[in-house]
Amino acid sequence: MSSRTPSSDDIVRPMQSTSKWYYVLFGVASLLALVWFGLWSIQLSQGLAVTNLADWGSGGGVTWGLYIGAFIWWVGIAHGGIILSAAVRLFGMKRYLPVARLAELLTIGALSMAGMYIVIHVGRPDRIVTSVVQAYPVTVHQSPLVWDVTVITMYMVMTLTYLGLTVRYDLARLRDDLPDILEPVYKIATLGYSEAEDEVIERIVWWLALGVIVMAPLLLHGGVIPWLFALLPSMPGWQGAIQGPQFLTIALTSAIAGVIILALTVRRAYDWYHILTDDVIRGLTLWLGLFSLLFVWLQLQQVITGVYAAPLDQRTFAAAKVTAPAYQFAIGVVLIALAYIFAQAVRPSIFSVRRSLAASVMVLAGTLTEKILFVFEGIEYPTFSMYANTPGEYFPSLIEIGSLVGTIAMCTLFFMVILKVVPVIELHAIEELRGEGHSAPGDDD
Amino acid sequence: MSKDDSSCGRDSCGCGENDETADESFHPMGEDYEEEMREMLDDTEYDTELGMDMAEDAMALIQGEISEAEFHDKYNEAVVEEFDVDDRPTVDAFEEMNAEEDESIFKKLTGGGDIADKLAGLDADTSQSRRDTMKKMGAAGAALGLGGVASAQGGSSDPKDDEYGANPVGDTSDEGTQLGMVIDLNRCDGCLECVTGCIEENNTSSGANWMYVLSYEDESTEQENFLVRPCQHCTNAPCEKVCPVRARHTRDKDGIVLTNYETCIGCRYCQVACPYGVNYFQWGEPDTPFDELMGADGDYDEDSLKEMDYEQRNQLLTENNDHIYDERGMWSDSRPPQGVMGKCTMCPTRQDGHSGEEKQGTVACMEACDAAGMSAIHFGDVNDPESRPRQYMRQRAEQEFARDTELDNGEQWGETVTPWAKLSAFKLLEDLGTRPNITYLGNQPGPEAEQVEGPVSYEQIGVTDNRKEHLDQYTFGAGDD
Ligand code: SF4
Ligand code: SF4
Ligand code: SF4
Repeated sequence: MSSRTPSSDDIVRPMQSTSKWYYVLFGVASLLALVWFGLWSIQLSQGLAVTNLADWGSGGGVTWGLYIGAFIWWVGIAHGGIILSAAVRLFGMKRYLPVARLAELLTIGALSMAGMYIVIHVGRPDRIVTSVVQAYPVTVHQSPLVWDVTVITMYMVMTLTYLGLTVRYDLARLRDDLPDILEPVYKIATLGYSEAEDEVIERIVWWLALGVIVMAPLLLHGGVIPWLFALLPSMPGWQGAIQGPQFLTIALTSAIAGVIILALTVRRAYDWYHILTDDVIRGLTLWLGLFSLLFVWLQLQQVITGVYAAPLDQRTFAAAKVTAPAYQFAIGVVLIALAYIFAQAVRPSIFSVRRSLAASVMVLAGTLTEKILFVFEGIEYPTFSMYANTPGEYFPSLIEIGSLVGTIAMCTLFFMVILKVVPVIELHAIEELRGEGHSAPGDDD
Repeated sequence: MSKDDSSCGRDSCGCGENDETADESFHPMGEDYEEEMREMLDDTEYDTELGMDMAEDAMALIQGEISEAEFHDKYNEAVVEEFDVDDRPTVDAFEEMNAEEDESIFKKLTGGGDIADKLAGLDADTSQSRRDTMKKMGAAGAALGLGGVASAQGGSSDPKDDEYGANPVGDTSDEGTQLGMVIDLNRCDGCLECVTGCIEENNTSSGANWMYVLSYEDESTEQENFLVRPCQHCTNAPCEKVCPVRARHTRDKDGIVLTNYETCIGCRYCQVACPYGVNYFQWGEPDTPFDELMGADGDYDEDSLKEMDYEQRNQLLTENNDHIYDERGMWSDSRPPQGVMGKCTMCPTRQDGHSGEEKQGTVACMEACDAAGMSAIHFGDVNDPESRPRQYMRQRAEQEFARDTELDNGEQWGETVTPWAKLSAFKLLEDLGTRPNITYLGNQPGPEAEQVEGPVSYEQIGVTDNRKEHLDQYTFGAGDD
C-alpha cells in the first residue's frame, strides 16, 4: 500500500504515543474484565450451581460445558500461535516475520486464559496447587488432565524463553526510544547482553522452533489435548484417532484467524500499513483457507463414518450432531469464510482486508462453537444411554457466557499493556523489510 | 492321519491305531494326555476305540478338515449302538437344516463353521454353548475332555472355573478382599426402598441418587425390567485412572472405590470417564450441613485423626458412630462438601465397624431392600466363596439347574453341564474392560433399552430424579426462589 520505508521509529511508536482510542478500549476492556471478576466471585461463593452444568446420567445434565470448551479453544489458539511463529523461524518464511512476535504474544495471552479456565472450571480452586503437586509423581503417568497441565506449563516456559531471547536483541538496540519508567525491566531483560550472543541466540531459537514443530502434532494439540477426550471408551462422540488431527487443524485455523485480527488492529492503530502489508494479510488469509479446509474435511470424515453404518452409540451421536443448529452454524460460518478465500484466490480483486477480517471473526466464532459443542454433546450421548434423562440438555448460563467476554477482555488488556512495554514487531522484521538482513546493526536513528 | 475311511465303524475300525505314527498324537495337548484319556475310557463301560476315534475326528472337525455332517454321519450308527440314542443331526437332517437357514456363502465355503467355530471360540462367557456342544458330541467326546481342547484352541482356559463351571463372579481383583454385590434383578420389584435407604444413610443432596433404579423397556421383552445401579466399584476403574489428584482411589483393604473429599479439586473428570453415570457432583451448598452428619460432633478432624495410631483412631470413631471418616482417618463417607465429587461408597465406615459389628458387612441399600422383603441386593466379599453374594449365587444356580434338569425330562448330560451355565448373569458394559464388581442376575438390558416410569415413581417417594431441573433454580440469572 505504502512505499514508505519501515524504520525502527515505527515499531517504538506504541510506546511513545497514546491515542484516545487506546484509553477508550482500555477502559471498556477493564470494565468487562471487572464485571467478569464480579460474576466469578459469585460462582466462588455459591459454587458451580450458578452454571447450567449438572450431572450426566440420571441427573439429566452435562458436567463439562462451556468452560472446558473455551479452555481447549484458548489452548488451540495458543498452540496454533506458537506453531505459526516457529514455522516462520524454522522454514525461513521471512515474509511473515512481522507477525511472528504477534503470534508468540497471542500464545502467551491465550495460554494464560486457558490456564485461567482450569481454575474457573474446577469446584475447588483453592486446592489446585496443593492437590496436584502432592499427587503429581503418580498422576503424571495416568491422568490426561495432568498431561494437559504439564504440557501447558511446558509450552508457557518455551514461549517465554523464546520471547525473552528474541526480545533482547531489540531492547538492546532500541533502548533509547523506550519509556524510561520501565528502565529496570529492560535492564533485567537485557542483562549481560552483547552483540556476540546474537548468533548463539539465533541457533537456540531455531532449535526451540524445531522442538515446537516436532512436538506439536505428536504431543501438544495433536496429542495430549485431544487425548483428554479421545481415550475415554464410553463417550462415542469423543472417541477415535481422528481427534488429534482434528484438534490440530482447529488450533491452527483459530490461531491464524487470531493473528489476522491482531495484525489488522495494530496496523490501523499505529499506521503500520507498510510493515503489515496487504500482501502479508493476503498470505495469512490463504493459510486460513487451507486450515479451514482441513477442518471441514475432518468434520466430514467424522460425520460420514458416524451416520452411515456405525455402531449404534456412534450413530446416535452423529445424528444428533448434524442436526444441532449450533453445529450447523459452526460449519456454516467456516464454509462462508472458505468460499470467500477461494474466490479471492481465483479473483484477487475480491480480496479486501475487511473481508479477511470478517472471515477471521467468523472462523473464530465457528471454532469456539464447535469446541463447546464437542465437549457437551460428547457427554450428552454416552454409550450407556438408557437413562430417561439422557441426553440431557445444556445452554451456558450468564456466568459462563460472561467468562468468555471476561477472558477476551483480559487478553485484550494483556496486549494493550504489552504494546507499551516491548515492540510487538521485531527489529529483525524491519531489517528484513529494508533488505538489511539479520546481522546488520539496527541501532541507527 | 486317516479321515477318508467313511466305513469306519465300531468294530472294524483300526485306523486310529494303524495310521498313527508312534510319536505323533492327534491331540494338541500331547501324547500323555491322549494316553490318559484312553485309560479313562477303558475304565468306562463304553467302547474305548470308538471314543478315541471320535475324539480324533473331533479334532479334525475343529480344524475344519471335515464337516459337522460328515462327522455325525460317520458315527451315527456306532453311537446309536453304543449309547442307544443319538440326538445329533444326521447328514440328511443337517442338510435340510442348512437349506432352511439362509446360510451365507462364506459359511458354506468354509464347510459349516458351526461346531468347529463354537469349539474354537469357547470361553468362560459361552459356557452355554459349551454345554450344547457337549450334548451334541455325546458322552465319548465329552469324556475325552474336548472342553479342554476347545479352550486350548481358543487360547483361554478360564482360571475362574470351579466345580460349578465358569464362575460369573469373584476374582475380579487379583487377591484379597473385594467387596461387591450380586443383585438379583428378578427379585427387584422397583419399590425404590434402596434409593431412600442410601439417601438417608448418606444425606446426599437432592437428586444425588447414589443408588438408582431404572425401570426400563426393551424391544426384545414385554416384561417389566429393572436395573439397580449403584457404583460398580470397578477393579479397573477409569474414574480412578483419570483423576488428576488421586482423590478417586481404591481402598487397599477391601477394594472399594472411594473419593478423598479433602483433596478432590472438583474437576469432574471422573464423572466424565465413568461409563455408568454414577457420579454426583456437589454443585452448591450441600442440603445437609456438616454438623448434622453422623459423627460430626466428634472432637477431631482429618489432621488429628491421621496423627493417631490405628487403634486409637478407630476406637474414637466407633465411640462416635462416625459416618464421615474411614479407618484411615480419610474423609470419604457421607455426602461430599461443596465443589467435590460424590458417588456410592459401599459405606466404608460401616465396613470399618464404626457403626458396630452388626453393621459390618452390610450396606444401607441392602438393609433397606431386605427390610422391604425383597432381598435383591447381596453385598459382601466376592472373592470369598462363603460370602453372602457367593452363597446366593450358588443357591440360585442350583435352583435353576434343578428346574432345568426337570424340564428336560431327566436327560443326563454328564458332569460337564454346570449350574453356572444355567444362571443368566452379567456385568454392566463388561466389554469396556472396567471389571465391575457388581454382578447382576437376570436380563441384561439391550442396546435399545430405555428407562420408563416404574411401578413406584421417584416423585412418589419424594426423591428428585432429574437433578438438572432441580439445580436450575440456583443458576445465575434464573430468578432464584
Ligand atoms: S462405576 Fe464409575 S465411578 Fe464407580 S468405580 Fe466404576 S468407573 Fe468409577
Ligand atoms: S472430581 Fe475429584 S475425584 Fe473426580 S477426577 Fe476430579 S479431583 Fe478426582
Ligand atoms: S452401598 Fe452404601 S453408598 Fe452405595 S448405594 Fe448402597 S447405601 Fe448407598
